This record gives sequence, C-alpha cells and structure tokens, in this order.
Amino acid sequence: MKIKLELYGASREFSEKDYLEFNLKEKSSINDLRNEILSFIDKNFKGNSNFKKLVKTSKFCSEENNIVDDEYKITKNQKIGMIPPIGGG
Amino acid sequence: MLHAKIIDVSKEKIDLNKAKKFIASSKFGASIYFVGTVRDQNDNKKVTGITYDSHDALVIKSFEEIYKEAETKFKFENITVFIEHIKGYAALGDTSIIIAVGCKHRAQAYEFSRYIIEEIKKRTPIWKKEHYEEEDSKWLKGNPLVDQNQLK
Repeated sequence: MKIKLELYGASREFSEKDYLEFNLKEKSSINDLRNEILSFIDKNFKGNSNFKKLVKTSKFCSEENNIVDDEYKITKNQKIGMIPPIGGG
Repeated sequence: MLHAKIIDVSKEKIDLNKAKKFIASSKFGASIYFVGTVRDQNDNKKVTGITYDSHDALVIKSFEEIYKEAETKFKFENITVFIEHIKGYAALGDTSIIIAVGCKHRAQAYEFSRYIIEEIKKRTPIWKKEHYEEEDSKWLKGNPLVDQNQLK
C-alpha cells in the first residue's frame, strides 16, 4: 500500500516537500508506519535523536481526519497526517 | 452559534471587525474579545516573528468540539462565538488568534472565552516556529496531542 505521510510542525524538517511516501505491506498498522519512519530517520538523518523522539511522541491522523491509535489497521492507499506535539494559540 | 476558520495570511488578513460584526446582537449584554499577538521575547531570546502551521481540518474539528463541550459544561443560553486562527508568517505585534464571545452577562463571557483558549492550547493541532534575532529559527516543543475520544 502506498502511504502519503503529510508532515506538520517540526516534522516538516524531514523533507523539503510537505510529505513523505512509504510502501507498506497489506494491513499494516500505525505502529508499523511509525517504525518505517524511524528507519527513514536512521537512513537519511543518521538516526538524529531529536527526530526519532519526535516520531515517537507524535500522533497520527487518518484520511477521515480522526486521530488513530497505534493498533489502527491501514487497509488502503491513503494519506496519513503526522501530528507532532502541539503548541499553538 | 459558532464561526470557526483558519486564516492563511498569504491570502487574507485576520480582522477583528469581522468578529465584532459576527457577534453583534442587542440580545447580548456582554461581548468579550481575546486577541493573541506575537510578542518579542520567549525564553530570554529576542523573537522577530512566528510561523504558524496548522492541520486545518483537525483544527476546525477541534474548535467545534471545544465549543460544544463549553455549551454542555456551562449551559448558558444564547451564546455566539467567533474563533479564527492564522497560519503562515506573523511579525511582532501581528494577531495570531481572535476569540470573540457574545452572551447575556459578563461573567459568562469571561468564563466561556477562557475555557476556549485554554482548551485550544491543550489540544488544537497548531504549531509554532519561532524566528530569532541571533539564532536559527526553531519549532517549539509543544505537548503531545491527547485524543479526546480516547478520554471519554
């Protein structure tokens, strides 16, 4: 499955574009996606510890604009939003 | 009644007059306006501006949830709320958020407005990148988002 990971806040530092793309196996979970992002950080940013911490503390948002937990199964190609710790207002 | 919107400052301006018009009613004895602006210092650093980032759909959903919760919590009759938050670059003194509340009495207006801004701070997916006079720009750390549905 193709996942377009939309980047927000500090996670925008992961790419010059405002998204990353991942190929995941069928019925992968958000936890699997999180692990893929961590591998991406290892490969492309020499395991940058701040970036990895950001991935571990982020939530994820489905295409239907719901915050989903780590067990949530991704069943189709879709956009997922990465929601780092928030600080607006 | 609620008006909730994200203002992309590259396309339009956030405007207090819009808030005034929206909540204007002779039924209200109290109107209160909370206006958040960019200040020149944070953590002993000289700030020159802030770039705001937003997950627009989640932000609007969050504003609607907060408004509904406040209605249920306070049970005030006949209340009108206007919430707009910017995304994009804001210079010192620029407005980042407007919350306007119109209702019967002043105590209600203060309470409702305070509840909204405090909840936005806790759970609305907006991020700030601060720009400094003498250092590289930095995304502020923030707090992990808590899914309100998981708390119910």
